[in-house]
Amino acid sequence: MERRQVLKLFASAAVSPAAGGNFYGVLRAIHASLPGGGALKTLDAHQHATVSAMADLIIPRTHTPGAVDARVPEFIDLILSDWSDERSRASFLHGLAAVDALSRESFGKDFVGCSPAQQAELLRLLGEEMARDAQKIAANPRGGRGNLPEPHGNFYFTFRQLVLTGYFTSEVGAAQQLHFQVIPEHLDACAALAKEKSAPEKPVAEKSPAEE
Amino acid sequence: MSAAKYDALIIGSGMTGGWAAKELTEKGLQVLMLEAGRPIVPENDYVEHVPPWEMPFRSMRDRKRLAATQPVQSTCYACDEMASKFFVNDIENPYVTPADKPFRWIRSRQVGGRSIIWGRQTYRWSDLDFEANAAEGVAVDWPIRYAEIAPWYDYVEDFAGISGQALGLPQLPDSKFLPPMELNCAERVVQDAVAKYFGGERVLTIGRCAILTRTHNGRAPCHQCGPCERGCITRSYFSTLNATLPVAQKTGRLTLRPYSVVHSLIFDPATRRVSGVRVIDAQTRQSLEFQARIIFLCASTLESTRLLLNSATTEFPNGLANSSGELGHNLMDHIKGGGATAIIPGNEDRVTLGRRPNGIYVPRFRNIKDKSPHFVRGYGFQGGAGRDDWHRGAGETAFGVEFKNAISRPGPWRFTFGGYGECLPRHSNYVELDKEQVDAWGFPVLKISCEWSDNERAIVKDMSIAAAEMLSAAGARGIEPFIDNDSPPGFSCHEMGTARMGRDPKTSVLNSWNQAHDVANLFLTDGACMTSSSCVNPSLTFMALTARACDHAVELMKRNEL
Repeated sequence: MERRQVLKLFASAAVSPAAGGNFYGVLRAIHASLPGGGALKTLDAHQHATVSAMADLIIPRTHTPGAVDARVPEFIDLILSDWSDERSRASFLHGLAAVDALSRESFGKDFVGCSPAQQAELLRLLGEEMARDAQKIAANPRGGRGNLPEPHGNFYFTFRQLVLTGYFTSEVGAAQQLHFQVIPEHLDACAALAKEKSAPEKPVAEKSPAEE
Repeated sequence: MSAAKYDALIIGSGMTGGWAAKELTEKGLQVLMLEAGRPIVPENDYVEHVPPWEMPFRSMRDRKRLAATQPVQSTCYACDEMASKFFVNDIENPYVTPADKPFRWIRSRQVGGRSIIWGRQTYRWSDLDFEANAAEGVAVDWPIRYAEIAPWYDYVEDFAGISGQALGLPQLPDSKFLPPMELNCAERVVQDAVAKYFGGERVLTIGRCAILTRTHNGRAPCHQCGPCERGCITRSYFSTLNATLPVAQKTGRLTLRPYSVVHSLIFDPATRRVSGVRVIDAQTRQSLEFQARIIFLCASTLESTRLLLNSATTEFPNGLANSSGELGHNLMDHIKGGGATAIIPGNEDRVTLGRRPNGIYVPRFRNIKDKSPHFVRGYGFQGGAGRDDWHRGAGETAFGVEFKNAISRPGPWRFTFGGYGECLPRHSNYVELDKEQVDAWGFPVLKISCEWSDNERAIVKDMSIAAAEMLSAAGARGIEPFIDNDSPPGFSCHEMGTARMGRDPKTSVLNSWNQAHDVANLFLTDGACMTSSSCVNPSLTFMALTARACDHAVELMKRNEL
């Protein structure tokens, strides 16, 4: 069987998991149930606004969507509510409150009330602190599909881990920003980078079995 | 056993059970296959094409659920949010260990068993492996040599489809290969350096694996979507569900019964044969019995031994077929956790397209020509290269548009070597039935008592040094050798031994045909039969031994010797 035929086969119901069950339907329903701004389980409105502002400063909207567009704050709320244990949740919320404390100390107002330049300065300060704490951080810089370490240690590091995970595993982050394809269209062990850059930007889900 | 409804009864539907079903039905036998777990329907149950954004916890796994129900299983890399359903519930399937001897028992109960989630690496043994025990006076000698199993390697490879590169190495005989998968740019750099600086002693090649690189026996080539442990709807990697089971079912002679938890084997003292099995239906809790002329025990290394231990009779008070006293002893697993990682400079304008589900292999090079002063036997390296991804950005201080663009681009090429080392068989590494605890079906659980020895520890230490040497030869930057101290036995999921093969019934459980010395119509062909462990992934050898044992059993039946 040629590779083209294999890809064609995926488009047919014959091998589509969706044909034999409603698994994808269930997952889509779970995904759709991710809380919107009004249905957060852990973050209150102010915390949500702070997380949103910080996340969009790290991954802003460009020609592709940004962190808030990718619902990163809602993903962080899910992790805090249904994934974290009591200790790590408290630690995260404590770290978030400390951002406001630093903000008031520096500029006399909460993070969300600061100007973009002031917010950028605050992230710079948080980054400096993170660099100082680097020795204590069990960072795994190797990528791959292993699970992340449980949030601990430096708040800003944990925050950045969650923002990057939430963004790059979202549909817009994976498909539009990374050109991730569930079924790779081209296989090449040593392709020119330019080829990868010009990969189609169409969201992959449009031709995955999930979308039939 | 004239009343037997079936010619053969197979316990377990994993890697070896699937082979036994195929071989025995194709040879004309009426076969009943019992599987403790649920049925798996690929079209419904495989989830390899679920994109990350459709997983509620994305790449982070459902931590709370795993901690509550799969605390052991989730230590395995493959037990992620999607694939965790292919691993057992640890609460229903407990086992115990001494506090100072942790053991990680990674298990599956479902049609297809662990063949759904296996690592798919496939390597032949050589006479270096089969002769090692005799040469060193360790444990007992294997009752077979390479020449006896070689045709059976050919046979199972023809059916399964093994991709790889022929090298002509005596310590790692070539399989009958489909075309190899490709090495990527950084892997080629390291391959060249290893060839140049290690004078042929060390060789880096593409992993040999049971994944198709072209259409083979009606199964499609791999499309490199990546997460094989979640299933494979194109049936491109070998498993019971993808390959052997459909063939067995096509004969019309296979009866597959899921939800059948075998309690024990029934021994008939008059004939000194097993006549059948006692089963509890996992759904109805009904007690059942099934009879057959021969039994193939293929429940996985430790489950098969547990079953024999739980089948003790007045004739065999310490476990069925255990006149030798070796049943439960000589447990092995491959030791891993030693290696090194580094950045390979260059090729910044190159990337890999596709997610190749295979890595590199460096065949064993220790104790081949020169003798190591530190340990006997050896190890092979697995691993590979890829470009660092966005994970590297968490520890960076940059943010904003430039950061977003930079972190979306591939990072440097990183190469990682991880070794798999041979574990010596030792009587002191053993399992027994626990006297108190039972599983969800009321059956006694295993107490596993297993630890590494100085030989394995010396091997792991050497792995990190040898890996760093090769990376250094390749001009790597930032070389980090590592020795993982959290790598207890069981973690390679290559558990072997506890019902070893051997020539002498006084010191072994099985003969050279995987037939119990004590019970002529009982065959055990999973990893429990292994007399030593080699350092290569064992499944291909389990497959070959199973096909060989099936052939022998049917010959004996034809001659009315069973």
